[in-house]
Amino acid sequence: MNGLLCRARRKGNHMWSTSRGARRTAATLLAVSALAVAGCGGPGAGEAGGSGDSGGDRALTVWIMEGTNPDARPFFDELSTAFRNQTGATLDVQFVSWASAHDKFVTSIAGGTTPDVAEVGTTWTGEFGEAGALADLAPRVQEAGLANGLVTGLTEAGTVGDALYGMPWYAGVRSIVYRTDVFAEAGVTPPTTWEELAAAGEKIKAARPDLIPFPIAGDNEYGVYPFVWGAGGEIAAQNGGTWTSTLDSPQARQGIQFYADLALKHGLSTPAAATWKETDLQDSFSKGQSAMIISGSWTPKAILEAAPDLQGKIGAFPIPGPTGGLSPSFLGGSHLSIFEGSPNQDLAWQLVQLMSTGDFAAKWGSESSFFPGTTALLQQAAQSSDPLVAPFAKQMVDAGRSVPVTPLYGQVQGKKTIPAMMSAILGGTPVDQATSTAVAEMNQIFAGGA
Amino acid sequence: MTDVVTTLRERTRPGRGAATAGPRPGRSRRGGTRALRPWLLLAPALLVMGGLLLYPLVRVVAISLQDFGLRQLVSGRTNWVGLDNYVELLGNADLWRTVLPNTVVFAVVAVALTVVVGTLVALLLVRLQPVTRGIVTTAIMLAWAIPAVTGTYVWVFLFSPGDGLAVQALDALGLADAATANPFASRVSFYGVATLNVVHHGFPFVALTVLAGLLTVPQEITEAAIVDGAGAWRRFWSVTFPMLRPVFAVVTVLSTIWDFKVFTQIYLMPGGDGVNRGVLNLGTWSYVESFAQNRYGLGAAIAVLLTVLLLLITVAYLRLLFKEDEL
Repeated sequence: MNGLLCRARRKGNHMWSTSRGARRTAATLLAVSALAVAGCGGPGAGEAGGSGDSGGDRALTVWIMEGTNPDARPFFDELSTAFRNQTGATLDVQFVSWASAHDKFVTSIAGGTTPDVAEVGTTWTGEFGEAGALADLAPRVQEAGLANGLVTGLTEAGTVGDALYGMPWYAGVRSIVYRTDVFAEAGVTPPTTWEELAAAGEKIKAARPDLIPFPIAGDNEYGVYPFVWGAGGEIAAQNGGTWTSTLDSPQARQGIQFYADLALKHGLSTPAAATWKETDLQDSFSKGQSAMIISGSWTPKAILEAAPDLQGKIGAFPIPGPTGGLSPSFLGGSHLSIFEGSPNQDLAWQLVQLMSTGDFAAKWGSESSFFPGTTALLQQAAQSSDPLVAPFAKQMVDAGRSVPVTPLYGQVQGKKTIPAMMSAILGGTPVDQATSTAVAEMNQIFAGGA
Repeated sequence: MTDVVTTLRERTRPGRGAATAGPRPGRSRRGGTRALRPWLLLAPALLVMGGLLLYPLVRVVAISLQDFGLRQLVSGRTNWVGLDNYVELLGNADLWRTVLPNTVVFAVVAVALTVVVGTLVALLLVRLQPVTRGIVTTAIMLAWAIPAVTGTYVWVFLFSPGDGLAVQALDALGLADAATANPFASRVSFYGVATLNVVHHGFPFVALTVLAGLLTVPQEITEAAIVDGAGAWRRFWSVTFPMLRPVFAVVTVLSTIWDFKVFTQIYLMPGGDGVNRGVLNLGTWSYVESFAQNRYGLGAAIAVLLTVLLLLITVAYLRLLFKEDEL
């Protein structure tokens, strides 16, 4: 069965092609239709296509997350050429949006249409790796002598037991991006405490009533974490191998309350934002509707590309701590993973190496404003004096944190526990009640998978 | 390929057997062929149905009886748990409080509106001149031809909080405050938008099917009813509706099936992908449990529940719309 699926996988695009392929296509078709009934299909359920092995030429299918690098297409054209020159194999690069990527990976694993190489979000690598969908890269990394040069936070996130399921590619961190012209107009400077943050928002509201001072998006878990951590709370604690959520601790609740109050009490947000995603924050900022947003180190470039008139009017500052210092922010990023079902794993590893080390990694980092996944390149980037890079580098080096390192946390994210909690709070549910619900849900997941 | 070969072999075998054994070979041979012929003609359809409908159905039921996660999916191992998934499903308070009411109420409202609007449009179309009818038909066909994903994004765009056109219009009419209203936040308004979307997408099918039926109603009967003094309302219920009963049965059953298992239109709306727990329906819940939670067993159990519900409703409908002897 497994072998059949593996072969069928390569033929995703050639349904009905030949009688020799009939059995494989039947298997693919059946798998797809089984899913269509079970889940009533879904966005992207049917569009996951493996590359065709045209005429025996070696080709790799690569999935890259969309929106990370505004100039991704020229980058991959160049990479394809370099890879062809090096190995003679061609690349079929497909772009997948972050929002639907988790679903798409899972449906492709189910349907046997996984790519050869994919960019995998660091919080998902453990989940897919533990399920057996990804190849263990630890021996290859060891053999290539790369083991000691990788950013620790990223290797940790990709490690389950002794296996490393993802090669660190890049990392990013979220801070606050703001409009320098609006700050000047309202007479405020980048806040250094939570109180100052709220006060700055109030001043902006008074000076520019047409703007949303600081929209709080309901469907954006990465905006919640800094306030939980900043107040001294934790998302979950590990005790003897089992995880327990601690979002209902007084510290965590206090942080969430402050974050929600920016919208509810101080009126710095808009009711519309209760259903916003992170991308909606960026949209509203690009449209010139917001003054401050929680945003990733990779976004200023994309924002300026979408709104050239904001050139010279945007800045960034790290998320302040309650009474000074910094609030930790989620250090996330991407791995490059090789799928277990790929028949060309050696070739795939050559591609992974090409992308994650040396010139192409540095080029990707500078084009996308992400920080590279190797320590050598990261140190180089951290010394930048660019006002749109330095605050993020400070946040990353001084106050970057991980979400609980367990594949089960991928399931918590899949369940959208934190977004559900946050949009409920913004909709009027008391913080105590909403956090209790979220804790119960997370603990159920932690218990179920243990 | 092999199936066709087998069938061909079987088709020739009785003839040969009859020729050696029977005294009247011709008749017997024809009889054998005749018995097989319907099956031969049905074979392609049965193969396709078996592959595309029956196998997935059996597989979903099988998965619903297992604790089936990503690991099982990748490795192909099984982990049978009997009816555990169903016990968990039916014991879940959310099913009774949120998911089932959302599914059923939405379907009832959407089907009723779709059929009523579709019928009214059909009655309008039948009165139009051919050229005007062509124009109007083309216009409503466009609504039908738009893919559900595109249509949903258009409706979400229209109702997007703050600057959406529909929100602005409601604000101008004094029915909502554009600065604070978020149509996607509350269950009722969320499903209100979803209903508009689904009815808009579904009514052209009803209109065109009913129109086709209306064109078959003999003019004489309608004229006789007019002579007898029947008004438009009476004519519809006493002449048109009874004659088009089978047409209404088909459009109602199909709309019910579609609206019960609506997925795309809900999932793509803000909060519809599981963030807003208050707006889950059976389709999105099954998807979220399966693909976001990797609990394919529970997701499959939800899908089975949905299928059983639809079968029951379809049978009930058919019994209601037709008397026993007409079935």
